Amino acid sequence: MARVTNWQIGREMSYWYSESRPKRQFAAVFDINKCIACQTCTLACKTTWTSGKGQEYMLWNNVESKPYGFYPLGWDLKLLKELGPQGWEAGAYQGRTLFEAAPAGARVLGWRPEEIDYAHPNVGEDDCAGQIETGAHLSVPHLAWFFYLARICNHCTYPACLASCPRGSIYKRPEDGIVLVDQGRCRGYQECVKACPYKKVFFNPMTGTSEKCIACFPKIEQGLQPQCFLNCIGKIRMTGWISRPEKAQADNPIDYLVHVRKVALPLFPQFGLEPNVYYIPPIHAPRTFLHQMFGPGVDQAIKTYRAAAGDPDLAGLLGLFGCTESVVPRWRRQGDNVVGLDDARKEIVRVPMREPVYISPAFDSKYGVVRTNCP
Amino acid sequence: MRSPLRTALLLILAALVLAACQKAPPTSTAEVVVVNRASLPSDPTATAWADVPVHIAPLLLQDMVEPRLLTPSTAEVRVRAITDGIRLALRLEWTDSTKDDFPGPALFSDACAVQFPTKVAAEIPAPQMGEKGKPVEITFWRASWQATVDGRGDTIKDLYPNAAVDHYPFLAPSLENGSPPQREMEARYSPARALGNRMSGPRERPVEDLIAEGPGTVTSARPAGSDGRGRRTKDGWSVLISRPLPDGLAPGKRSQVAFGVWEGSQREGGSRKMRTGWIPIVVEAKK
Repeated sequence: MARVTNWQIGREMSYWYSESRPKRQFAAVFDINKCIACQTCTLACKTTWTSGKGQEYMLWNNVESKPYGFYPLGWDLKLLKELGPQGWEAGAYQGRTLFEAAPAGARVLGWRPEEIDYAHPNVGEDDCAGQIETGAHLSVPHLAWFFYLARICNHCTYPACLASCPRGSIYKRPEDGIVLVDQGRCRGYQECVKACPYKKVFFNPMTGTSEKCIACFPKIEQGLQPQCFLNCIGKIRMTGWISRPEKAQADNPIDYLVHVRKVALPLFPQFGLEPNVYYIPPIHAPRTFLHQMFGPGVDQAIKTYRAAAGDPDLAGLLGLFGCTESVVPRWRRQGDNVVGLDDARKEIVRVPMREPVYISPAFDSKYGVVRTNCP
Repeated sequence: MRSPLRTALLLILAALVLAACQKAPPTSTAEVVVVNRASLPSDPTATAWADVPVHIAPLLLQDMVEPRLLTPSTAEVRVRAITDGIRLALRLEWTDSTKDDFPGPALFSDACAVQFPTKVAAEIPAPQMGEKGKPVEITFWRASWQATVDGRGDTIKDLYPNAAVDHYPFLAPSLENGSPPQREMEARYSPARALGNRMSGPRERPVEDLIAEGPGTVTSARPAGSDGRGRRTKDGWSVLISRPLPDGLAPGKRSQVAFGVWEGSQREGGSRKMRTGWIPIVVEAKK
């Protein structure tokens, strides 16, 4: 195995192939605090890509309620149990990644979901952790809590699916870092299904091949955001391109949120895949749970996010989410407006920091009618 | 009147005499002997196989390349071979207490394969899928494909009778079934088939012709006219694989052959398999 740099775990690690980063890397930020689990993203993906025979159970995009929601069942808990307790120290991961913990005869530590594990996509939906038996008052973090976790393929820098495929049927596009299964070459060994810790590769029983989220690459190639981003009711998502931390640019929205303000964090960075979907963690859930899920940056991320109301740049950029179908590779704040720019710094979209407010008086004296509180 | 005891004894005696008269199939320990016949059987249960020498090949773990198989499963494969001078029919039999022919997540099909060097030369290819510049030809049979060829439908309802499917957009009433727009739309939701991945069906034969030049390189070959038929026996599988006579095999001539067996219940697939090294194979000289 080669030695590669994984900035998310603050150290070098072992990987099946040598480090080869794409020209630019597809990335996304999801603001968990804004997700309402309406599943519009799930349906947008389903109708666009997985309405075929053999794809019936596939959800390239899903939204699950944490802590009791999973698709497939227990995808994260089973792997965390396999990996065992591991630790971080001063921002660097001291434990073993999935590549370093690979058992004899395998390239990646993984597990294989059974048919039944895919049978309950809404298990745990809206189920709270904890019980309120004697009354309680509202505080943060909440005594009883859950949050929604929207998930797609992370188009990892070090994909476990790619590493595990014995015949090189999975590839990472050099132009945008999107990870794809070559449907002409795949022979359905399901090694990738076993290896992907996020369980975002699915076996198609009709074609005998494995399929996965393609980041809507035909749209990305036209500078457009994927379907699950475009259709997000809560405007929780933003597509973009992420740089390595030492090359972060503040006018790149993803770089700004991930590297500059460190408000968005990778999902289970300890697995070692350098996943490229970043989450703004929920402010109301217990920190121990969030530390396990998003790593040691959680406290700082939540602190920064909670102060966003008095932070015009951060609040402004968050307001740019979901405002255009175009990918917004650059941005800037201009007074009370946030402007999304293309690669040539040409304006794509302009959004006011504060929506104008109009107050309709309850009683319209001109016409002598009551405008609100109508029976 | 005969006593029941005497009748029983006579019946047992008759059975023993019959059993003694029945010839045990000859065994060929060192090599696979291909017998010449005027025609090839089309079924692994045909009586034509009865007097063909059997070669019992012990199976080894594929533990050379990742992902490896570390726990042994199928112990041996019993092989017989017949040629009509044009084609070669091999019958592979092995013990397998579970029938695994169902495709799905974490489900693996029982399977077997036969491998020959593409060219007979002084230096034979590596037995594990050949090597660069020294390709091997493989005929691969899979139980799930056999089930499809034998009539199991190719829909989710055939696999899961209680499945409920809301809608396939390409089967909308507004689209004429079989029309070019309808077929184009259906292909869009089946990318492996749209790309011509031969293992993705639709399936007419339970076998696939493959070529390889080393581990991880197996590729669909132009169909070489291979065919097969697998049948469940009382304790396992009996599979007939037929193909054109491989390079170098003719009466009195020899080559090499290797076998692979996958045990679905042990989740064997791809390189997780039991296999042999090269085994000499010789065609009987014409009498």
